[in-house]
Amino acid sequence: MADENMKGMEHSEVHYFNSYNHHGIHEEMLKDEVRTRSYMNAIVQNKHLFKDKIVLDVGCGTSILSMFAVKAGAKHVIGVDMSTIINKAREIVEVNGMSDKITLIQGKMEEVELPFPKVDIIISEWMGYFLLYESMLDTVLYARDKYLAPNGLIFPDKATIFMAGIEDGEYKDEKIGFWDNVYGFDYSPLKHTALTEPLVDTVEIKAVVTDPTAVLTLDLYTCTTADLAFSSPFVLDCRRDDFVHALIAWFDIDFTACHKPIRFSTGPHTKYTHWKQTVFYLREVLTVQQGEQIRGVLENKPNEKNKRDLDVKISYQLQTDDPTRQAEGSCEYKMC
Amino acid sequence: MSDTAPEVEKYAASSGSSENSDILDLKDDEGWEDAEPDQEDTQYISLMDDEVFTDINAMLKHCKENHGFDFLEVRQRLGLDFYGNIKLVNYIRFQVHSGQKVSASISKEDFEDEKYLKPVLEDDALLFSLDELPEVLEDGQSAEKGKGVAEPGALVARVSELEEELRKMQLQFDNYRATVSQTLDERWNERSQSGPSKQDGEDKEEKRDDDSHYFTSYSYNDIHETMLKDTIRTDAYRDFIYNHKSLFAGKTVLDVGCGTGILSMFCAKAGAERVIAVDNSAIIDKARENIFNNGFADKITCLRGKVEEVTLPVDKVDIIVSEWMGYCLLYEAMLDSVIWARDKYLKPDGLMVPSHMNMWVAPVTDPDYIADHIAFWRDVYGFDMKAMQAGIHEDAQVLDMPASTLCAEPFPFLQLSLHTTTVKDLVFKRKWQAKLKQDIDALDGFIIWFDSFFMPSREDTVPKDVRAEEWAKAEKKGIAFTTGPDGKVTHWKQGVMLIDNTKAQATSRKEGEELSGELEYAVPEDNSRALNVGLTWKFGEEKEASQTWRMR
Repeated sequence: MADENMKGMEHSEVHYFNSYNHHGIHEEMLKDEVRTRSYMNAIVQNKHLFKDKIVLDVGCGTSILSMFAVKAGAKHVIGVDMSTIINKAREIVEVNGMSDKITLIQGKMEEVELPFPKVDIIISEWMGYFLLYESMLDTVLYARDKYLAPNGLIFPDKATIFMAGIEDGEYKDEKIGFWDNVYGFDYSPLKHTALTEPLVDTVEIKAVVTDPTAVLTLDLYTCTTADLAFSSPFVLDCRRDDFVHALIAWFDIDFTACHKPIRFSTGPHTKYTHWKQTVFYLREVLTVQQGEQIRGVLENKPNEKNKRDLDVKISYQLQTDDPTRQAEGSCEYKMC
Repeated sequence: MSDTAPEVEKYAASSGSSENSDILDLKDDEGWEDAEPDQEDTQYISLMDDEVFTDINAMLKHCKENHGFDFLEVRQRLGLDFYGNIKLVNYIRFQVHSGQKVSASISKEDFEDEKYLKPVLEDDALLFSLDELPEVLEDGQSAEKGKGVAEPGALVARVSELEEELRKMQLQFDNYRATVSQTLDERWNERSQSGPSKQDGEDKEEKRDDDSHYFTSYSYNDIHETMLKDTIRTDAYRDFIYNHKSLFAGKTVLDVGCGTGILSMFCAKAGAERVIAVDNSAIIDKARENIFNNGFADKITCLRGKVEEVTLPVDKVDIIVSEWMGYCLLYEAMLDSVIWARDKYLKPDGLMVPSHMNMWVAPVTDPDYIADHIAFWRDVYGFDMKAMQAGIHEDAQVLDMPASTLCAEPFPFLQLSLHTTTVKDLVFKRKWQAKLKQDIDALDGFIIWFDSFFMPSREDTVPKDVRAEEWAKAEKKGIAFTTGPDGKVTHWKQGVMLIDNTKAQATSRKEGEELSGELEYAVPEDNSRALNVGLTWKFGEEKEASQTWRMR
């Protein structure tokens, strides 16, 4: 935090950029094989796309993606990152003999000056929890509008948010019910807060009660920052008789420009990623039967005060003929 | 009070999915629905008789028409604040219950007594619905006495600020609106006492503020959940307080850094006459609600602010209870505030809870951890990322180390006796020594932890080299717990200082070899809440090595 560049920044912003200085997060990301291997394959297996191209790596971190791009034959790569991790990236690029191929610039994308007026390809690992929390997508879109040549490529270029309903009684009790009795005391005010805080955690596939459904697809070639505040209806088909304590969200990432399209998912049905899944507990428990539907709307918008925080609202209605099980409601959440 | 260090990792976090997959074990969910508050049939018992209403206004109308008591008129006439309203309701209920009449010409003095903060009826719905009633208008005349008349402009501004704040808070916890409006009153009062708040932009630019992040980091639920669910920690406080009720009965207690209010409530339940709970984090709003909901509002006073800045309602206290311990004991420097509070407020014969800390250091060897987190950087997807190794040795890590990684008995390098310790004792340089109990391939680092002791009298002493687990096992006086590798893991885990062995090949060592050196705690100039830990060590008469680690 003593860094000169941080002066005059919002406190929350300083914290955001600083949290990336610590090694733990980079270690976690690099050790996330689903993530790193997907990027590696998307880049290194597509030498025909990268050969002799100018590439921009938005939020380059330890510069692993930049180095993949050099390996794939890029003419030159520009890596931009706000965090002081870029000093490490410089050392890494140097010892790997790529200093002449990779230019690293510390600063905000919106403020730095690139050595090339246009780039052929933008690569970026910008995704946050719930895809959009603390994500760098707005920065990627800025870079696209300013620097991407016509017919340029974006890796990845498609992101889809999915939702599903889960049975999660025991853990909900542990996380939320905990506050009903803390060492013999009533702590319900904190229970209320707990319900508004989505949980980032691993969900087992056997907990999933409904079919997954896509609620939002972002095409990175065409979407704008305005699309990041959205309101999307969804329908969840219940696959068995069970209870639904929470709705969960995750995302899939597509590299459609690849010769053979590459895709990875952060859902409960596949391998662990550091993004896990995002759990939104409902205040009530839905009692559902196979064949019934939960219809609802997922709303998301950046918080007005702190743009890195998200305000999420989920409204839902259980479609059932059984009057005793009818349920309808809406819950507001804050990711911060 | 520690959960803000950025380097917190689970030991060998790379094991990945397996450790996360068991979280959502599915079992039946009996009982959950019962835990939900039943909001549908709220019942308002009449203030004047036994009739029950489902609508608050219908109830008040009943009182007015059939008993000639206009509650709304009375509270408007008396210009009651939130507490005043609660007292009024309880006073009426008390009077009616004991068969006495309540006249409409009731005055504030009638229900001045703090005892009327205690609900007369269990789960009195009226108390939770007070803010559904029309607002009490502040018109100057209704401010009966004692309060200086505020300027109309300031008053209007303050009211609108309050309204704005109230609107936001209501969104957050609409069930608890009643308590919240009181919270705001108090907070505004305190803010005017404690000078510029941390939101003050100018102040922030002028001087570096190490504190605002510190206090903000304690405003979220997560950290409090972690601390409350740390049963080693919370049980120790509970057991000491409940096992020594006679110490607390009738006493005045100060809780420094009260968080959610748990320790204050332990004390109140143990019979303390009065508890003053101080915290500078927004969590204190929740503490207030918790305290109110659990019926301790008449015993516990919550003050938001730094303990050095708030005005306590008493001159002296009998007991100071505080959970101030940080990583490596002193990270976050909260003890400074506790010592300050002790010197200013604790009676000469007063008691500090906890009372003693023994600090330990031990050398470790852990080839698996080194391979997983340091050697890892040698080849990352075919690239050399050794540059990432450098910082690993600059920062102290917070990890739960298996006891098997210790290659010597731990050395007790310092005892803090909370009744006498001064702030200057918290930066120190101490000698330490150890003897290897096994052959090792490399000395990988050192770990530091602390043991806490809770003694019932300030005359009690604790040997400087006694371990909490032995103390507890021997059923000695008081309560003790360890945060070391031999005990159940706590949220403090241990502080781990890794030796930089990346430049020179580490030498293997034999069982029985002796090492010694010095251990230093210092506060860096650029961040008063951080901590620098320095160690020197040498084997026998070999050349001395040294390294310094930061906790930040």
